[in-house]
Amino acid sequence: MTKLTRRAFAATAAAAAASAGLRPSFAQANYPSRPVTVVVPWGAGGGTDATARIVAALLEKDLGQPFNVVNRTGGSGVVGHSAIATGAPDGYTIGMITVEITMMHWQGLTELKPASYTPLALMNEDPPGVQVKADSPYKTVKELADAIKAGPPGKFKASGTGQGGIWHLALVGWLQAMGLKADHVPWVPSNGAAPAMQDLAAGGIDIVTCSVPEARAMLDAGKARSLAVMSPQRNPAFKDVPTLKEAMGIDYNTGAWRGIAAPKGLPADIAGKLTAALKKAYDSKEFKDFMNARGFGMIWGDAAQFAKFMEEGDKKMGVAMKAAGLARA
Amino acid sequence: MRANDALSGLVLIVLAAAMIALTASFPAFPGQKYGPSLFPRILGVGIIICGLMLVWSGLSARRAGAPWVAVAPWVRDPWRATSFLLVLAMLLLYILAAETIGFIPIAIVFLGGLFLWLGVRPLTAGAVAVAATGALFWFFASMLRVPLPRGVLTGIM
Amino acid sequence: MEAIAQAAGLVFQPYVLWVIFASAVFGMFVGAMPGLTATMATALLVPVTFFMDPVPALGAIVTATAMAIFAGDIPAAMLRIPGTPASAAYTDESYAMARKGELDLNLGVNLVFSVLGGLIGVAILILATPVLAEIAINFSSFEYFWLCLLGLTCAVFIATDAPLKGFASLLIGLAIGTVGIDPAAGFPRFTFGSVELMAGISFIPAMIGMFALSEVLRGVVAIDRTAVPLAQRIGNIFRGIGSVTRRYWVNFFRGSGIGVAIGALPGAGADIAAWISYAVSKRFSKEPEKFGTGHVEGVVDSTSANNSAIAAAWIPALVFGIPGDSITAIVIGVLYMKGMNPGPTVFLQNPQLIYAVFMIFVLANLFMLPIGWAAIKLAKQMLRVPRNVLLPIILMCCVVGSYAMTNSFYGIALMTVMGILAWLMEEHGFPIAPAILGLVLGELLEQSFMTSMIKADGAFLAFFHRPIAGVLGAITIAVWVGMAWHSWKRRQGGVAGPVTPAP
Repeated sequence: MTKLTRRAFAATAAAAAASAGLRPSFAQANYPSRPVTVVVPWGAGGGTDATARIVAALLEKDLGQPFNVVNRTGGSGVVGHSAIATGAPDGYTIGMITVEITMMHWQGLTELKPASYTPLALMNEDPPGVQVKADSPYKTVKELADAIKAGPPGKFKASGTGQGGIWHLALVGWLQAMGLKADHVPWVPSNGAAPAMQDLAAGGIDIVTCSVPEARAMLDAGKARSLAVMSPQRNPAFKDVPTLKEAMGIDYNTGAWRGIAAPKGLPADIAGKLTAALKKAYDSKEFKDFMNARGFGMIWGDAAQFAKFMEEGDKKMGVAMKAAGLARA
Repeated sequence: MRANDALSGLVLIVLAAAMIALTASFPAFPGQKYGPSLFPRILGVGIIICGLMLVWSGLSARRAGAPWVAVAPWVRDPWRATSFLLVLAMLLLYILAAETIGFIPIAIVFLGGLFLWLGVRPLTAGAVAVAATGALFWFFASMLRVPLPRGVLTGIM
Repeated sequence: MEAIAQAAGLVFQPYVLWVIFASAVFGMFVGAMPGLTATMATALLVPVTFFMDPVPALGAIVTATAMAIFAGDIPAAMLRIPGTPASAAYTDESYAMARKGELDLNLGVNLVFSVLGGLIGVAILILATPVLAEIAINFSSFEYFWLCLLGLTCAVFIATDAPLKGFASLLIGLAIGTVGIDPAAGFPRFTFGSVELMAGISFIPAMIGMFALSEVLRGVVAIDRTAVPLAQRIGNIFRGIGSVTRRYWVNFFRGSGIGVAIGALPGAGADIAAWISYAVSKRFSKEPEKFGTGHVEGVVDSTSANNSAIAAAWIPALVFGIPGDSITAIVIGVLYMKGMNPGPTVFLQNPQLIYAVFMIFVLANLFMLPIGWAAIKLAKQMLRVPRNVLLPIILMCCVVGSYAMTNSFYGIALMTVMGILAWLMEEHGFPIAPAILGLVLGELLEQSFMTSMIKADGAFLAFFHRPIAGVLGAITIAVWVGMAWHSWKRRQGGVAGPVTPAP
């Protein structure tokens, strides 16, 4: 099955190259003939880094050249995303781009947009959840929502990532869907989901809107409870957590996604070869086992689907961030 | 080379003042009294206070006969002064040229050049430069997978 | 009991022992190279461990990191280049010992007390994990704020011969640390439109520049006068360890204790543990005036502390999946991959695997003695190399090491600028250790202050509301008042003491 797909892809790529009048050079036909750098905009140890390392290990096994994961961290993701966009479009620099690419340019942090890349494959998406401390008096998300509405602005504090990050936006989207103002629950910026979950357990904050897999250790440890997920379906790894729609009839959903992309202008035959190899990695047992073990959501999109997915996401983010007052005019 | 404390203090004051001036353009944190400008300003004020105290102690030392600038002997020795500048020049050269030329040739030039200037015999200098470059490349690029610049060697290796 | 027997069966297999040995050698190399950290060693091992069974996979990581933290001490003593940030706190002290001709003793102390400190860390990891994790998890931003302030107070202890310049140096370090995206509002500060600067001052290239480049710059202008400054024979590195142990056993236990406490706190690791234990050692020493001149006492404390912190960082990682440091951040991912989901139940579900990890911890620390000894013997060859050959090679290592950290030329440029800055500072009598401490703690300090203020709606008294925070705050204020009182009394006594800055 994978073999067929791969051949089909190669054929499509070759046809595309031929129709565009491009003659693949000798170097391209032999791609990859030397080590490939896989840039990750986030630090070693996070979910993005772990996913990228698994994908890289599988690509290496398939394509026979080292795929070296390189962390280019800092600047809320700007540094790494720029490194991918400004790399040479020769197939030897690729990277894992994340949802932030559809957010940062609205905040005025960078000029980079989804269109600055050659999309290769979408591999993962995780919806936000609503987590509270284990001994919190609110047993359902509806009770929590009623308490938030009843309380004065600022009574509850939430965290999960930096100011203006994806989980911040999720909180604002949820509040607005309830008819509340964006700052009714103030955001406490954190260095990511793990520190936020710790602060929740320590009693420093009231709500964490990170994804459920990120909250998992604290949930398993009985230190926190997940009340809802902001997605159309439940997560199979966390069957007991209802969706926001089931629990309170609010049809709001968003998510943090990860995909592989290359600098803009990557020759079509190389892009085709990489997408095919990524599909094979996505379908492999190792990848599935890893993602399931972590509880990460799997979603596949080939180059064209990924491009469309990002374009739509970008527009939605623009609207949401302006409404939330997070976009810089 | 050592300037009087009054001069170091003055430099600190000027830099800290510039840092505080730059914070004027920082936006406020939405809904908070304190924003991104708070910490740089506190630090700037602290540095200015330290600077003023240094100026004070430097001036007292000056009255006691200390010079404005004491120059270390090596500065007057052309060979030593050049060694100092050559280290910095080599670093600059590496930063500017490594991407295009690639790690292996530039590291050989870098090491070989410094060896020769510091008086290593030419044959030894060449051999050690090549060996050290090879060892570093093997360890960092092959074993630890650091993407050292490939430069002109892109097509070959 | 059955689980322990099973665990032993999993560990004592030729393949597993071979993996441990190979990772030990790998960790030694990585730790001894400037710019390559224990965290990087772990990240590099992830794809390899991906295809291994859980026990060898975790064994590789445990062993490599323990070795790397010790190995960082070797170049610190020989060349004044800390191999990993965890050695930065006592690099100057070790180097001063080497220049006094006590390189053997220094390396021996580093090796032996790294092993012993590591073993204490493991012992506490085995015995007290659930209890300690429960305490560590109660730290919120208020507690961290006070801890950071206490940590910064250490800078004043470290630099007592020039308190004003030491304080200025600390502020310079903190100010440099504000470059980049600010930790609260996400606004790029002092970046002048540069994408690289948005990432902030990458700590490791900065540290390499401040220690090593400034030393190289001083070295090249003094090359013939100090033809053989370091070329001393390495004899028996274990000579003198007995008397050091008898004299400083309190320091060893205190350092290991501080290491465990700091290591178990999420987000604070071996490097901060080493700084704090060094400062504590100086504060409570009977001869604090000897610190900085090549005195072994502070080295005992801090080299024990950083190795004990390595094991302690696993405490919150195993129980709550909260990383104790950047290494365990990666380890948690590996734990999930191997089906050992972190949580209190990890001890019930897979006890044999957890016991196996503990056994490997003990084994790794025992292996450290012979392998570390061999590494020191190998490294001593370096000291036979004439200075005019050695200095350019050190410089090249700095270049490659700082590049490896950021994977860009920004790292090298940063290393160069910070090296020149440190050289200028030292020429003018400003100690650089406080500046490095400022770089280490700056972001955590600002982050914990800003988030606490947001949580408290701007009410400063909230910093004393929580019990642990209140105690830490009281200690901090007591320490400051004590320092002010001490310096006031000294001035009353008519001693023409140096000017002491207000805290």
